[in-house]
Amino acid sequence: MAKDRAQIDYGGPLRRLVLALLVLVLTGTFLLWRIDSPRVERFRAQVTDRIVPNMDWAMAPVTGTINLFRDFQSYRRIAEQNTELRRELRQMQAWKEAALQLEQENARLLDLNNVRLDPRLTYITGVVLADSGSPFRQSVLLNVGARDGIVEGWATMDGIGLVGRISGVAQNTARVIMVTDASSRVPAIIQPSGQQAIVAGDNSAAPPIDFLENPDLVRPGDRVISSGDGGVFPAGLLIGQVAADPSGRLRVRLAADYERLEFLRVLRHYGNEPVTDNNNVLAPGGAALLTPEVAE
Amino acid sequence: MIDTAPSSRLWTMRIAFSALTLLILFLHLLPLQTATGGLIWPDTLLLFAIAWSVRRPDFVPAPLLAALFLLADLLLQRPPGLWAAMALIACEQMKKQSRVLRDASLASEMVSAVLWIVGIGLAYRLVLAILLIDVPPLGPALIQIVVTALTYPLIVGLTHAFMGVRKPAPGDIDGKGVRS
Repeated sequence: MAKDRAQIDYGGPLRRLVLALLVLVLTGTFLLWRIDSPRVERFRAQVTDRIVPNMDWAMAPVTGTINLFRDFQSYRRIAEQNTELRRELRQMQAWKEAALQLEQENARLLDLNNVRLDPRLTYITGVVLADSGSPFRQSVLLNVGARDGIVEGWATMDGIGLVGRISGVAQNTARVIMVTDASSRVPAIIQPSGQQAIVAGDNSAAPPIDFLENPDLVRPGDRVISSGDGGVFPAGLLIGQVAADPSGRLRVRLAADYERLEFLRVLRHYGNEPVTDNNNVLAPGGAALLTPEVAE
Repeated sequence: MIDTAPSSRLWTMRIAFSALTLLILFLHLLPLQTATGGLIWPDTLLLFAIAWSVRRPDFVPAPLLAALFLLADLLLQRPPGLWAAMALIACEQMKKQSRVLRDASLASEMVSAVLWIVGIGLAYRLVLAILLIDVPPLGPALIQIVVTALTYPLIVGLTHAFMGVRKPAPGDIDGKGVRS
């Protein structure tokens, strides 16, 4: 108690000194982050790794209860939903039939051409632990991390479409920056026209399509898939469909269901092998054969 | 506010504030809003910190505030340290004014708090823009500042009514056994 009283006597200057020190430390942290972001981000991932999994026991029941309540609200229009689903199911059955036939045909053609698809694309499934906690950032935290062999940059999908990319891996957790986040850029290809573009997140539900060579060739409803350029994502992952917003700008309506992200697949991807020895691709003595013509 | 063990109450309330911060962070992190564009919540942590700072500065010492704000920065994916430093300065300034504000009406306290909230909200954007860091979109950010400022009376009410954190009346014995 006597010590406390002594602190009060010198309270003013001491308090100011402590405050100045604290502000200095905080500002220093911020500047350090600005200069050497990866190191501080690693520290952030470790702090998150220590704290958030401990909250999990409480998060699961609370989230469950709230979702139950939300579901209950939707039960009120259950009859309406039921007829809607029936109609959709009927359409889906037609599509399923078509898909089965196409799959068989595809398998036959692949077999005829002796095509080998990339066999290394396996996945790990993680549970979503937490969201970003802020309306300005679009990311989720998964319960798989370095312990499960997760590597920075791997793509994540829900069952259908691309969700985002791993950014920040700690021992037990990994953060997924979603395609909708303002810092996300995904090289994409638009089928059937084959146009290259970039899907650039802007914090909205439908990210716009940037750097499109010829917008006239692209129509709403076209499929947008990842192109694999830059080597970050594997090629051929479904991102979504093209849609035009009221001002005429082309956006992607994402295929993944962002409303309910519970489980995410992290695709193991070890990069594409680059072709380095161009000469030997043609023939063992390709270089020698070419030189006379080049010399002419 | 005469307690048999003032010092233990002091520490209880400090721990209570830390628990409150963790609860707020917990609610933010619940994976309910994975899609974009939901409700924009006020910055309740800042509001509680200011409300407590005005009422009982000794319950929220600067090192505790700094640590909790930094933790919030780290967990909520903000640039670490910047918002914490600004919020800390705002709280300390409110503490400095707390003696004056103790006798003043709620209105003058509110004006002061709102000025600080808006001030650091804008300063934060300014610093981010100067250092060429991705600034959150203007519209939602402004909405958040306004919502935060508007929620202040509600938080003051909660603090006063349910948490028992009130301005010491003249003549009360404060946590350190000193007449305030």
